[in-house]
Amino acid sequence: MSDIRVSEAAPTSGAPVGRSATRSDARDKVTGKTAYGGDRAVSQECLHAHVLRAAHPHAIVRRIETGPALADPDVVAVFTGKDVPGTNLHGMIRRDQELLATSRVRYCGDAVALVVARTRQAAERASKLVVVDYEPLPGVFTIAEALAPDAAAIHPEGNILGRQRIRKGDALAAMAEADVVVETEFSTQSVDHAFLDTEAGVAYLEGEVLTIEAAGQWVHEEARLLALALGLPFERVRIIQPPTGGAFGGREDLGIQLYLGLAALLTGQRVELAYSRAESMIARHKRHPIHIRYRFGARRDGTLVAAVVEVQADEGAYASTGKAVLRKAASHATGPYRVPNVHVDVTGVFTNNNPTGAMRGFGASQIAIAYEGAMDKLAAALGMDRVELRRRNLLLPGDAVTTSQILPVVSAQECMSAALERIGWEGRSYETPAPHLKRGYGLSVVCFGLGYGDGFPDASRARVRFTDGDRLEVYTGAVEVGQGLVQMAAQVAAQAVGVTIDRVDVILADTARTPEAGSSSATRQTFFTGSAVRKAGVELRHQLLDIVGTLLPVHPDELDLADDACFERADPTRRVPLSAILQEGRRRGYPLEAEAIFEPRTICQDDAGQSVRAFVTYLFASHAAEVLVDVETGEVQVQRIVAVHDLGKAINPLAAEGQIEGGVVQGIGMALMEEVVRQRGRLLNPNFTDYIVPTAMDVPEIIPVILENPDPIGPFGARGVGEPPLIGTPPAILGAIHDAIGVQIGQTPATAERVWRALQQAPGR
Amino acid sequence: MTEALELKSRLKDKGVFLAGGTDLVVGVAKGRLSVEHWIDLSGVPGLSYVREEGEELAIGPLATHAMLERSAFAPALAQAARTVGGPAIRNRGTIAGNLGTASPAGDVSVALLALDARIALVGSHGSRSVPIRDFFVGPGKTRIAHDELIQEVRIRRSADSAFLKLGKRQSVAIALVSAAVVRQRDGRVAIALGSVGPTPLRAARAEAHLALAGLAPEAIGEAASLVRAEVTPIDDHRASAEYRRAVSGVLVRRLLEQLAASSKPESPARA
Repeated sequence: MSDIRVSEAAPTSGAPVGRSATRSDARDKVTGKTAYGGDRAVSQECLHAHVLRAAHPHAIVRRIETGPALADPDVVAVFTGKDVPGTNLHGMIRRDQELLATSRVRYCGDAVALVVARTRQAAERASKLVVVDYEPLPGVFTIAEALAPDAAAIHPEGNILGRQRIRKGDALAAMAEADVVVETEFSTQSVDHAFLDTEAGVAYLEGEVLTIEAAGQWVHEEARLLALALGLPFERVRIIQPPTGGAFGGREDLGIQLYLGLAALLTGQRVELAYSRAESMIARHKRHPIHIRYRFGARRDGTLVAAVVEVQADEGAYASTGKAVLRKAASHATGPYRVPNVHVDVTGVFTNNNPTGAMRGFGASQIAIAYEGAMDKLAAALGMDRVELRRRNLLLPGDAVTTSQILPVVSAQECMSAALERIGWEGRSYETPAPHLKRGYGLSVVCFGLGYGDGFPDASRARVRFTDGDRLEVYTGAVEVGQGLVQMAAQVAAQAVGVTIDRVDVILADTARTPEAGSSSATRQTFFTGSAVRKAGVELRHQLLDIVGTLLPVHPDELDLADDACFERADPTRRVPLSAILQEGRRRGYPLEAEAIFEPRTICQDDAGQSVRAFVTYLFASHAAEVLVDVETGEVQVQRIVAVHDLGKAINPLAAEGQIEGGVVQGIGMALMEEVVRQRGRLLNPNFTDYIVPTAMDVPEIIPVILENPDPIGPFGARGVGEPPLIGTPPAILGAIHDAIGVQIGQTPATAERVWRALQQAPGR
Repeated sequence: MTEALELKSRLKDKGVFLAGGTDLVVGVAKGRLSVEHWIDLSGVPGLSYVREEGEELAIGPLATHAMLERSAFAPALAQAARTVGGPAIRNRGTIAGNLGTASPAGDVSVALLALDARIALVGSHGSRSVPIRDFFVGPGKTRIAHDELIQEVRIRRSADSAFLKLGKRQSVAIALVSAAVVRQRDGRVAIALGSVGPTPLRAARAEAHLALAGLAPEAIGEAASLVRAEVTPIDDHRASAEYRRAVSGVLVRRLLEQLAASSKPESPARA
């Protein structure tokens, strides 16, 4: 990694990195000025598209008759799979889903026809006139149904998408010899991303170039996949990301871009398309519902000797990013604990439910519920304090995670100690205002490997340049989906070059203007794009120092650059303003721009799920939760959550705290209320009346705590925030419920009714 | 008002009265409802009031939930109004609209049912008064004739009352079960529940038991089990019938205990 060791100023107080600067995009978003995808759709005269979705969760499509729809005078065109000029296939990892189904539909969100009309109403009305002749097939809606010997095959190769395993040591033998063995089972639910702005955008031709303005998470990959599906050369596709109200993995799979692109390409006109909330929820992939059987074996003193884990995951109708999710669940199977013998089997099966794929946590969130639940159960079985049991088994620097990767920086113990201290664990009170209320406290410690990992090519490029007006422009193909990337890039660039944050403009996510940065997912953009921006910024800084070296009689090593000026280290009053340096640089033909790529390597897990470097780095976090449970109704009220995260370095502490709080709220939703309910493949709650997300009234006091043990590679020591704030929350809440009522809830969300039922069935009642 | 009624009798089914719009506008947006003509009542003066008239509370047809939240006349009513939707919905949605929608889960409807509200209806043929017990016919169905609208809702002063609701979250939640209890000034106790039958319903057998046995702890326990037997909930994707039945008993028991505690002369006033 020698290429990233470049000299630069370390952040000091008042430096751009580490400052809680207000986000440059905040004011326009808060005041409603920002034009999201759906706002762009209505700004100009254009045609309107509407997608007809499958009427059955599993059926053969015999014939599609478009005539009756075309008879509507407002209808411009009706397209089916036969009209698609390219492969008509898409999929992030495996191209297994048709853009428009030609012969078969596998879930209710499959698209069968695309209507383009002069008004939105006409497009929607006419889509009901498209006659699709279906031959319904028996559906498969649960993991058990999919694995039954006589199950209908959803894909030609059968219903198993993939298996992933870990074989580390001899876990079965070690388990047999363990003093104490505990077993616990968890089922997690189907969760929707529930981002604010539903899929919406516009598409049009700029000469030969098909341009699409719609939110995704990785514009360059979307352009490549779209070009394949529509049979266009890559350079004829341009994707521009409009401002976006959240993604959480939900915009990783291609969807609306395909329909916008097809409609604009085939009609030659500007087309808009916007999904309703219902369509958004019916069409989009979900978080994997997973069934986990988890066994820990330990010595009498609490030392873990083995973990045996079986995972079955509902992949839904198509592969999406499912295989990677399964791998992540496996590689994080024992979380932040030192377990010498590990045996993991993960199986993903196809069903006629929504495809499942990326969502904040990406398999690591579900498995964390299991290992933390198993730890709590083990503590009870050993008669040992939960904290003490964890302390004895948490990784220390130099220890290895599930995949045997040895980590140089491990702060699991430190995170847990901070969480315990901030919630007041030692002096915790179990008093409640009424006898039917029980108080409980829960604890989680989690780890998370960031980036794609597992040998998957993972890179970010960035370009920085000074304009003639002395502004510093940062170009990155990364998308801002609300997480704060735009401000992160500005602060890193300002620090690396030595200018003020206000001088920086960040140009994002346009395949025609910005270099490829990989996806905004996998908690990777601070680490990857932050590093690329820093490298490019340092290169540009060297140009500036080089220029100054000829203006001042000093060696460049004795100079420093900060706050728009270059000065002598020994005597900071001897300084040259940035404008003078740039003027001189232009006169002498300096490029005043630089580009860099950051591409750390990882190594794919072997057949035993082992890799010395499955991920570039790991994050550690610990959450503590306090809850009140009403034992007569089962209602759970979260009272407080402490969330400790070792970010390496918080580029913008205010933004990092906000991201932690957001993740905690999403974790509360997953733990207690969010659940997509289906009946034989049909969504019963594709709306925010019945798909329940936490409101402000459901959010307790959240205490974010940031630790900063620097990362050896990340920009200015930073790792990122991203997914762990969600991952740590459900296990802490479930642990707190367990503590309050003495019963472990084995199914998420722990709704009032589920808690009530568990209490009814508890022994001793 | 006369003009609004004239329009309605002229347009018949093609005209729909619009008050807060929190239900109807959503219905149109979702395609559940198509409306040719709105008869917007917002410009009709003098319909938006909540006022005490001696021993009665008069609620105008455009009075909002937010207005009722602030009324101290009947605690159950203010508590119920406070649990409706979020602040935006409570600022727009009207009490009359909540009654007219006749949702089995209508929060304020449950409180008004326990309070024996009288609903004055006005139409092109004059006015009439319907006791709330007779008002609800089924989900979304009431005794309002096609050319009528709610003119006013009136309740009498009671000794005490309280309301509780269990939803799937702390606000903007549809009731899984809601319940209201009222102690009249003559000591009789009324119990109403929501989301446990096709309409908000009264627990007549539990009320009859309390009329004989008073609010002693055993009587309250018995009333709660009578309530569990009286309600007729269904299973749906929000909750099971079994759970709703159990929670009905819990909520009613807690409410009756509150009434009992506040009716004891030595007990301190409730917060």
